[in-house]
Amino acid sequence: MMTLNIYGQQLDSRLLIGSALYPSPHVMKQAILASGSQVVTLSLKRQNPSEKSGQQIWRYLQEVIAEVHGHLLPNTAGCKTAKEAVTLAKMSREIFQTDWIKLEVIGDDYNLQPDPIELLNATEQLINDGFKVLPYCTDDLVLCQRLYDLGCQVIMPWASPIGTGKGLMNPYNLETIRLRLPDATLILDAGIGKPSDACLAMEMGYDGVLLNSAVALADNPVLMAKAFGQALQAGEQGYVAGIMEQRQTAHPSTPTLDTPFWHQNS
Amino acid sequence: MNIHINGKAYSLSNEIHISVSSALTLHFIEPQQSTFAVALNGDFVGKEEYDTTLVKNGDSLDVLLPIQGG
Repeated sequence: MMTLNIYGQQLDSRLLIGSALYPSPHVMKQAILASGSQVVTLSLKRQNPSEKSGQQIWRYLQEVIAEVHGHLLPNTAGCKTAKEAVTLAKMSREIFQTDWIKLEVIGDDYNLQPDPIELLNATEQLINDGFKVLPYCTDDLVLCQRLYDLGCQVIMPWASPIGTGKGLMNPYNLETIRLRLPDATLILDAGIGKPSDACLAMEMGYDGVLLNSAVALADNPVLMAKAFGQALQAGEQGYVAGIMEQRQTAHPSTPTLDTPFWHQNS
Repeated sequence: MNIHINGKAYSLSNEIHISVSSALTLHFIEPQQSTFAVALNGDFVGKEEYDTTLVKNGDSLDVLLPIQGG
């Protein structure tokens, strides 16, 4: 199968996975390994550097990333303005030594909907500063187009609000973005609830899926991680194989000519 | 002067300003051995600027470390 292209980096897995909300660090590690993902998201928060807990988590994440030969994808979770997001992105770049940034600028606390104005502003500043921006955005075609025009090679529209597990709220919007931005790497981010959601995104021709809660909050996160990995593969293969056109009327699968007893009673 | 580090207030009686490096040692033990990044009044301060960037009365430092994220 084809690889996932993130700013020229070719990855075998099309699943990007979060590192939060797991029952334990051990389960997190096992779930990430089971998913086959090569990109793991993480964040920054206020902590005292002399406290050991924060350093332990960081070391643990480094071990996981090394084991899967993967990449860290820091996010700007919690930012509400372009200025906050740009500052956090710069701090992340220094710590994680990567110019990849999952850009989140939240405009509404209720549904954690991205602020499109601040997002575009932050994207422009970060791209000018050499970042490779992976913007988390709504499923608005024009917003995605603007992000692409600014230089985002990867765009990450939401399926539905973060952590809801509601799946693909607006399949038409998502299909239209795919149709109108054929050269962008499109990753469906947020709101994925079950493996079939991820499969559906891949059947639409999306390049990948980013999720966290759906795996971390499952009864068995490790098994669910594996299920998502397989769902993405199934969806991708279905898309590549070419899905049949829907038809308005029924067509028998079995040939009717010389069917036994056909029209016998007429 | 009065400054804040990660939201916590600190009063320094004799200084009118101190470097970011000095401010960090006010509260943090051996920060050089840790993975962290700093912002001063909401603006990023790179590690190479810790000795030359001054923290003044009313300033606010944020010290951030890695955590899990989605």
